Amino acid sequence: MSRRVLLHVGTPKTGTSYLQDVLYKNRARLLKQGVSYPADRFDDHFLAGLDLMRLRWGGLEAEAVGAWDRLSAQVREHDGTSIISHEILASASRSQVARALTSLGHRPGGDTSDGGTEIHLILSVRDLVRQIPAEWQENVKHRARFGYGRFLELIQDPERAHRVGAWFWGVQEIPDILDRWGADIPPERIHLVTVPPSGGPPDLLWERFSSAFGLEGLDLKLTTRRANPSLGVPESALIRRINRTAARDLPPQHYRPLVRELLAHRTLSKRTKSARLGLPPDQYPWVHQLTESWIAELARRGYDVVGDLEDLRGAPAPTGKWVDPDHPPERQVASAAVDAIKALLLDNAEAHAENERLRRKLEAARRDLVRARTPRLMRSMEWTVQRLEGSGKGRQALEVYRKARRRNSRPA
Amino acid sequence: MDGRRRAWGWVAALRAGATTPWLDWPDDGTGDGEPLAAELPGAQQLALLRRLNVYAAAAGRTVPAATAERILAAGVSGRGRSELALVGADPGGAGRFGPPPVDPDALGDDELLRVACALIADDVAATAAVPAPEPSLVDRVRAVRRPWVRSFVVVGMPWRADAVRTELAAQGHRPGGRRPTAYLLADDLETVLVQAWTARSFDQGGASWRGFVRANAGAGHLPPRADLARMARSAAYKYGADRVRIVLDDRLLAAELGVSRLGGPPRLGAHAVDLVRRVGEPLGLLVASAERPRLLRDSLGQVLDGLGGPPPTLPPRWDGWLSTQAERTRHELAAARYPVLGDLDRLLPRPVGTDRRAPVLPVDAEVLSLALGLLLDPVTVPARTQEET
Repeated sequence: MSRRVLLHVGTPKTGTSYLQDVLYKNRARLLKQGVSYPADRFDDHFLAGLDLMRLRWGGLEAEAVGAWDRLSAQVREHDGTSIISHEILASASRSQVARALTSLGHRPGGDTSDGGTEIHLILSVRDLVRQIPAEWQENVKHRARFGYGRFLELIQDPERAHRVGAWFWGVQEIPDILDRWGADIPPERIHLVTVPPSGGPPDLLWERFSSAFGLEGLDLKLTTRRANPSLGVPESALIRRINRTAARDLPPQHYRPLVRELLAHRTLSKRTKSARLGLPPDQYPWVHQLTESWIAELARRGYDVVGDLEDLRGAPAPTGKWVDPDHPPERQVASAAVDAIKALLLDNAEAHAENERLRRKLEAARRDLVRARTPRLMRSMEWTVQRLEGSGKGRQALEVYRKARRRNSRPA
Repeated sequence: MDGRRRAWGWVAALRAGATTPWLDWPDDGTGDGEPLAAELPGAQQLALLRRLNVYAAAAGRTVPAATAERILAAGVSGRGRSELALVGADPGGAGRFGPPPVDPDALGDDELLRVACALIADDVAATAAVPAPEPSLVDRVRAVRRPWVRSFVVVGMPWRADAVRTELAAQGHRPGGRRPTAYLLADDLETVLVQAWTARSFDQGGASWRGFVRANAGAGHLPPRADLARMARSAAYKYGADRVRIVLDDRLLAAELGVSRLGGPPRLGAHAVDLVRRVGEPLGLLVASAERPRLLRDSLGQVLDGLGGPPPTLPPRWDGWLSTQAERTRHELAAARYPVLGDLDRLLPRPVGTDRRAPVLPVDAEVLSLALGLLLDPVTVPARTQEET
């Protein structure tokens, strides 16, 4: 039975990809130091989350059958500290949370006296001023066709009747996530890691994660980077237009590598000079008011805060001009589109070259196959002819043979 | 008044078969009950149990206690709101965060279906553990391929072709053989589209009927499973163009093959197919994707046969698109000069204005009604096995 589980359940867009990349690439080193990060592939914990919550995810769910049970079994088998981390877990319902905690060996109230697992819940959190635009952008990178204005409307529906609003608050409403996940965990075992404001020391967030996960004294390689890069306003608008035009015709298995990875992550995210996506100025008052109520509630609950709850306040409304992604600067969108076309052309050329290489390889394999099936006698004859062609006397002998064959084969 | 005790009293009454709505439940203390767990069940689960009690009472039955327990403990599948709190159960407002509490009777049928489909998916997944029945000696003898049977294969509308192949094999006319003739099953394009959506709902789930039509018609093309001209070209490439026959009259094919009947797939109405589509979603997380179609066909395909109303129809706004595609299909098949069993004009839709009633679309309330039936009489073993035992 594992003695301790560090269960990191979100939230999205808080540096989770980098953290998970470090944990995954260092899993062998971690294990030598008594910490298990049980994963055979990078997205194992994501698949486990899909399985736990029975979520469809563009066909990926087919690979998730039984994934949570496998993950929890690995955790139970490890005698020491285990880490589970994925941000989609933030949206789990109470019954799913109960199933997850039970499967990890949790006892009511977090009792560890009879061998129950000591579960520490970790939630990394960031201010809504940055989270709201980031979530819309994430929707756009997952085939969404609705505009930013519509997204803002959907998340302000008090009933949360639309799936977009239900999902947004399911993974972003910090007190509610902690109500669902932390109802049966002592508050001192609940750790909030706050994301520092923009412009701070670049390693500060990692230091906070290290502190929360107890990784500070461990020997880890931090050279890897697996960021989830953000897009500017014209680039987001372009992807949304692509979604409106092509997403229906592009199955998820092609959308993911071509639009999300090639266009969004590898091409358009490099255009860093364009206007950044931000919260519209008229949205700041309700966001600030809501944030204040969260900060007061979280402070009251007495969780372990790694960082500062003040980080949740977010930046004040900027004084400069706000750029609306629903009405983006068209010249910049056109420029982004040209970059996108170039990337697609290069990718296509590479695919053509690869096709040609494979075609030649296939042709050679086919020749080898034909040769392998050619009878031994035929191959011996070919070999003899080649040898005779190589010398003068041999060529003379062949000439005599060929004349004799022609004479014999003449029609009577 | 203690809202939680009142709520627990209502939960206990629902478990015993009550049908009283939450807002009508007495708030004078006479309806209070003791807590049965740390947390109240979600409003979706409570609403579903009440609806099932109403459904069972109308049929003169009661909901088994085990079924009631299953519903109260069930999760909510798919994206959307997770378990919702009961309005008035916590007047102090301890739950200030999360979605607002609701009156269970105000929830849409769609919310209740998310719970019901997760439970039905559990039942269907459980049938995977039951081994497929061994065919009897008579069945095996009947299925032996007769040496004098001509070589043939059946292609075309996938939902129907699968069933026809199975029926023919059971009659000793197993498809296959050397240089076979390919019989391409066809019908009017609207029927072909409905069958394509049905096959897709069993195989992959996904789009609703409306979404399926809009995605294809909006993009101006036919889905691969409904593109008869493309299927014919594929068959011609594989078997030779001179060995492809278009079948628009079942009797002619039956006569040509020398069988009494061709058989056909289960006839599921619009609401029944929609239920299968919804159950397939959580089922995809319970069984391997290769297993899912067979499990759904052997369970829901059998028990929903003949249920769920008429097949869906295309909304009138797509009439023009349907006619164009049907004309194109007819033209391509005629131009390729494939022999036809029947009349090629049958591919064309009915003329606009004749026999064109209001479009039939899946309706959540009807789908829920079918789901309630499956909760009351769950699928436990493949229906064929049940019949035999």
